Amino acid sequence: MIKKQFTFFDIFLTLLAGIFFTFILLVFLMLFTAVSAGQLLHQLSSPLVFASIRISLQTSLIVVCLTFIFGFPVAYLLSLKTFKGKEFLDSLIDLPIVLPPLVSGLALLILFGGDGIIGKILGHWDIRIIFSQKGIICAQLFVSAPFFIKTVKESISAIPEEVIAASATLGASSFYTFRCLILPLSKNGILAGLAMTWTRAMGEFGATSMVAGCIPGQTETMTIGIYMNAMSGNLEAAVAVGIILIGFSFISLFILKIKFSRSYGYHY
Amino acid sequence: MGIIIKNIYKSFAKQAVLDNLSLTVKKGEFHVILGPSGEGKSTLLGVMAGLIQPDQGDVYIQQQRVNKLAPEKRKIGFVFQNHALFPHLTVYENTAYGLRARGVNGKKIKKIVAHYLELVKLQELHDRYPFQLSGGQKQRTAIARALAFEPDALLMDEPLSHLDVLEHERIRDELKRIQTATQVTICYVTHDHSEAAALADKISILHNGRIEQVEQPEDIFYHPKTSFVAEFVGANNIFTANLIDVNEGISRFRLNSSESIAKLEIEAKTYPVFTRNTEQKLCLHPEKIAISHTPNGKNSFLARIIDIIPQGAVFKVTGEISGLKLRAVVPKTSFKINSHTEKIWFTFPPDALHPLCGRSCRAAIPQRVCKNINFE
Repeated sequence: MIKKQFTFFDIFLTLLAGIFFTFILLVFLMLFTAVSAGQLLHQLSSPLVFASIRISLQTSLIVVCLTFIFGFPVAYLLSLKTFKGKEFLDSLIDLPIVLPPLVSGLALLILFGGDGIIGKILGHWDIRIIFSQKGIICAQLFVSAPFFIKTVKESISAIPEEVIAASATLGASSFYTFRCLILPLSKNGILAGLAMTWTRAMGEFGATSMVAGCIPGQTETMTIGIYMNAMSGNLEAAVAVGIILIGFSFISLFILKIKFSRSYGYHY
Repeated sequence: MGIIIKNIYKSFAKQAVLDNLSLTVKKGEFHVILGPSGEGKSTLLGVMAGLIQPDQGDVYIQQQRVNKLAPEKRKIGFVFQNHALFPHLTVYENTAYGLRARGVNGKKIKKIVAHYLELVKLQELHDRYPFQLSGGQKQRTAIARALAFEPDALLMDEPLSHLDVLEHERIRDELKRIQTATQVTICYVTHDHSEAAALADKISILHNGRIEQVEQPEDIFYHPKTSFVAEFVGANNIFTANLIDVNEGISRFRLNSSESIAKLEIEAKTYPVFTRNTEQKLCLHPEKIAISHTPNGKNSFLARIIDIIPQGAVFKVTGEISGLKLRAVVPKTSFKINSHTEKIWFTFPPDALHPLCGRSCRAAIPQRVCKNINFE
């Protein structure tokens, strides 16, 4: 076995990586040391903090379900089918990832507002999106679904064409191939995509605040709560919610890393 | 009737890959499509299976026109070069996949899968996943999977190309045994002519998107009809010669080779296509040349040895006769030859030579057949 020796270049890279790792760690450490365990528990028992956690969990889980329902067909079509305008659609789907969330929020506000195309139509049935939890869901869906679509699309595209062709030559219908081949083979991608979508939805602030505002107990999500509490000087509450949010994100990413990062590799 | 391909055209990016190609694969036949890489062999199989839509032409399977039929409705098995096994399924589940997709009931599936796993000798490994199998075992799984739903025909796209030499030979022999046992129609694509010779009932040579010659292996290798086929199968002594005399069934030719310094004269069996004062291409298979220390009858030429390559049980000897290169393949046991041997006699009987079709590959004819050549 070749013994790997650390070269000067490796040491240099390790030093740079160490600086960055320390920076990340310090940011989290500072947050955790800002409040005591007692203060943390006290803040968590506050009805407003509890409500923001409930709203965030509720809306983000609905977003995860909606993302799977609408995002999976998009990812399936973009990865397996060839059609005119595919590249345009593909780029369009990726756009919310790079778009500033405030711009996304502004666009959603115009679309769902009283004078917006959809806002007007929904207004006839007395359905209000703006300043409601429905608005939170729309904003989170718009911003976070592309993460799922992108991950699943890559996962489906990684299935070799011959494997899908083999299924067809064996007499499998498109639906059978989807159910028995594509779905299980892209399972890790789907779960990873859902986890990323959930984490992103939980952490969404810009678009959500534009569309849903920050009505405590109604549209105040965890991130909005952090902002509002920090701005009003209630740092303890902001930190408490922040720690909970970090906990959710870290656990979800950690499970993602250890459970779903393994791919089939299509051993030939 | 097995598979009939009629006047198929297929192009990619305006580049014709299959060009007015017609082919018939009879029921129960082991038909090998042989040709160099990049000649459209895989595209042809794709067209047969319905995975690729031809620009023009018709595909018939069991006398039914299947042009518009999706792959899953064609009842055609396909074995891919890379096995294309389903990585999340075991050997058993892979084999049962086609049956389950067709709604066959559980008990029947168990029986059929057991039968085909036994046929490919994989019954012991039924619970293994593809990543736990060797290349040969993967390919045997792919064969069992493709056979399990009892297809009308089995298409195989260079299935042995990823195997090592030992596995290659073992699977090749097993494949022949399986085909004999099941009598399934097989259309097999390869660029390896030794593989084609070992497996085929019939060989089609694919070149420039068309079938250049369809014949039994013996005829393809010893009586190639075009220069391309001759060179591809290793019958690479090709001469251009002028007929100067015909006497009692023997024709005398003078070679026109630009390499040749002296005007060599050779005798060949007379064919109806031979006409006086016209240029004729003649082919001489290296295995039909004998070598000796003394001249040995007609068509004996003293050659300076250029190269001797030992290959298995034979020597590949290249000799030069007045600037003309001749290649011979002789059994190692038939002649003592060593590095000090400088000159040797190359001899071949008049019936060892046969004419090649003069038509160019792109000639505007429906299908390249050299009807007026009599090989009897």
